[in-house]
Amino acid sequence: MRFLALLRKELRESLPWLLLAGLLLLGVGLLTVHSEARFARMRYQHWSAHQGLGPGEVVNTYDLVRSPHLAWVAMWLAFIAPGLGLVLGICHFWVPLFARTWSFLLHRSTSRMSILGAKLAAAILGLLVSLGLVWTGLYWYACRPGLLPIPEPVQILVVGWIYIVIGLVAYLGTALSALSTARWYTTRIFGLVFAALAAFLILVQWHLGWVFALAVLAIAILFVQTVAAFLSREF
Amino acid sequence: MAEIVLETKGLTKYYGAKPALDHLDLRVPRGCICGFLGRNGAGKTTAIKLMLGLLTPTAGSATLLGCDSTALTPAIRQRIGYVTEGHRLLRWMTIGRLEEFQRAFFPRQWDSRLFAEMIEYFELSKRQKIKHLSNGQRAQVSLALALAPNPELLVMDDPTLGLDAAIRRQFLEGMIELITRQGRTVLFSSHILADVERVADRIVVIDRGVLRADCPLEQFRTSVRKVVLHFDNSAPADVELAGLLHFRRSERQLELTLVGVGDAEVADWARQAGAERFDFVEMNLEDQFIEFTAPPHRWRLFQWEKA
Repeated sequence: MRFLALLRKELRESLPWLLLAGLLLLGVGLLTVHSEARFARMRYQHWSAHQGLGPGEVVNTYDLVRSPHLAWVAMWLAFIAPGLGLVLGICHFWVPLFARTWSFLLHRSTSRMSILGAKLAAAILGLLVSLGLVWTGLYWYACRPGLLPIPEPVQILVVGWIYIVIGLVAYLGTALSALSTARWYTTRIFGLVFAALAAFLILVQWHLGWVFALAVLAIAILFVQTVAAFLSREF
Repeated sequence: MAEIVLETKGLTKYYGAKPALDHLDLRVPRGCICGFLGRNGAGKTTAIKLMLGLLTPTAGSATLLGCDSTALTPAIRQRIGYVTEGHRLLRWMTIGRLEEFQRAFFPRQWDSRLFAEMIEYFELSKRQKIKHLSNGQRAQVSLALALAPNPELLVMDDPTLGLDAAIRRQFLEGMIELITRQGRTVLFSSHILADVERVADRIVVIDRGVLRADCPLEQFRTSVRKVVLHFDNSAPADVELAGLLHFRRSERQLELTLVGVGDAEVADWARQAGAERFDFVEMNLEDQFIEFTAPPHRWRLFQWEKA
C-alpha cells in the first residue's frame, strides 16, 4: 500500500512527460508508416506505368521497398528514449531538490529503499509503456499485410528496444548526478558522463550479445551507485 | 521521572571545518511542549534534521522514542509527526489527494475526522491544489497532515515562519488543540518569541550551534534579568560578577544583564560597588532572548566606540 502510494505519486509526476514522449513517437511513427505506404503505392504506380506491368507482376523489386520504413522512426526513438530518461531523472531527483520536498518525502513510515524503488519502478514502467509498448505496437501495425510492400525486419524492433534500454541508462546517470553532492566540474558530472559513454559503447556494437552484456553491465553499475548514493545522502 | 522521548548526546555536525551544531545534549520528557530557540543560522534546522535521520551526525547521537536517529524504522517514523521548514508539500496535489497519500503511510492510526475538522477549521477545501495555497494555508495543511495520524512526538521546524499575525494565531490555536490531548510531546523551533511564550512549557536555546539553555520557560523568565545601578559619582569601569552576560556603562549608570543571579547577590554587589540605588527592569521573553544570545563582543565594541 505504501509502495503503491509512492509509485502512484511518481507516475503521476512523470505522466506529462510520458504522454509527450509516447504521443510524439506514435505521431512520428504513424505519419512515417502511412506516408511510406502512400509513397510505395505511388512508386509502384509510376513504375508499373512505365514498364507496362499490371498488379501481381511486380515481385521483390528493390526499387519499391528500398530501406526499412521504421528505421526513420527508430532514429527519432534514438533521441526520444534518452531524452525521456533524462527528463524522468530530473523529475524524480532534481525537482525535489529545487522544491525542497525531500524532507517531506523521506519522513515516511517506509524505508529509503522503498522510496527509491518506487522512483525506479515508475521510470521503468514509464519507459516500457510510453515507448516500449508504442514502439512494439508500431512495429506490429507496420507489419500488417497490405500496408507496406514488405514486412519490416525484426532487427528494427530490436534496435528500437536498445534505444529504450539506453533511456534507462540515461535515467540512472541523471539520478546519480542529481544525488551527488560534489561540484559540477568535479565528480558530480560522472553519472551523466558514464551514461553517455555507456550509450555510445552500446550503440557501436554489431553483435547483439555484446549489446546485451554492455547494457546489463552499465545498468548494474549505475543502479548500485545510485542506491548507494541515495541511501547515504544527506537531505 | 517522565519518560524521555527525545534525547541527544554530544550531537555534533560539521560542514567542512565549520561546526553547525556542537555537542548538543538535550532531553525532552514525554508530554513536554519544547520551544527550540535560536537566531537565524543558529543550528535549529540542522539539529532537527539530525534528530530525524535526514542528516548524519559528525559525532554524538540522537534517540527518538528509544530508537537511534540514524536507524529510524518505519514503525518509529509512524509515531513521529514532522512539519518541515517552509511547509514544502507536493505542489501538484490537491489537499484531498495529499491526505490520501499521507494516509497510506498511517493506515491504522489516520484520523480522517480530525483531518476534515482541521481543514474545515482553517476554512480550506479538499479540492484546493497545494500550489494555489498561500504560505499560511500551506502551513495549516502541513499541521493537519502532521496531526491526523495522532503522533506521539510532533517535530515542527519553524512552523510559523512567514505567516502573518492572524494566521499565526490560528495555527497556534490548532497546535494548542493537540497539546491538550494527553501524552503528546512537541518540539518546535521558532524565532518568534511570542509564539513560544504562548505555547511552550520548556525552552531550549542554541546559539551558533552551542546549547545555551535547556530549562522550563518559567525558570528562564526568572533567571535572565536586567538591573540598572545608579551612582552619585562615576560608575565603575569594570564589572566582576558571576552570571554577568553584558554590561553597558554611562557616566553615572551601569546597566547589567544577568543570568541566575538572585536579588541578594545583586544588592551585595551594588553596595560593594558604591551604587546609590538599583532598579530591576521589566523584560519580556524577546528582550531576554536577545540579551541572552547577543555576542558579548558587540557590547565591548559599543563601549569602545563611546570611549
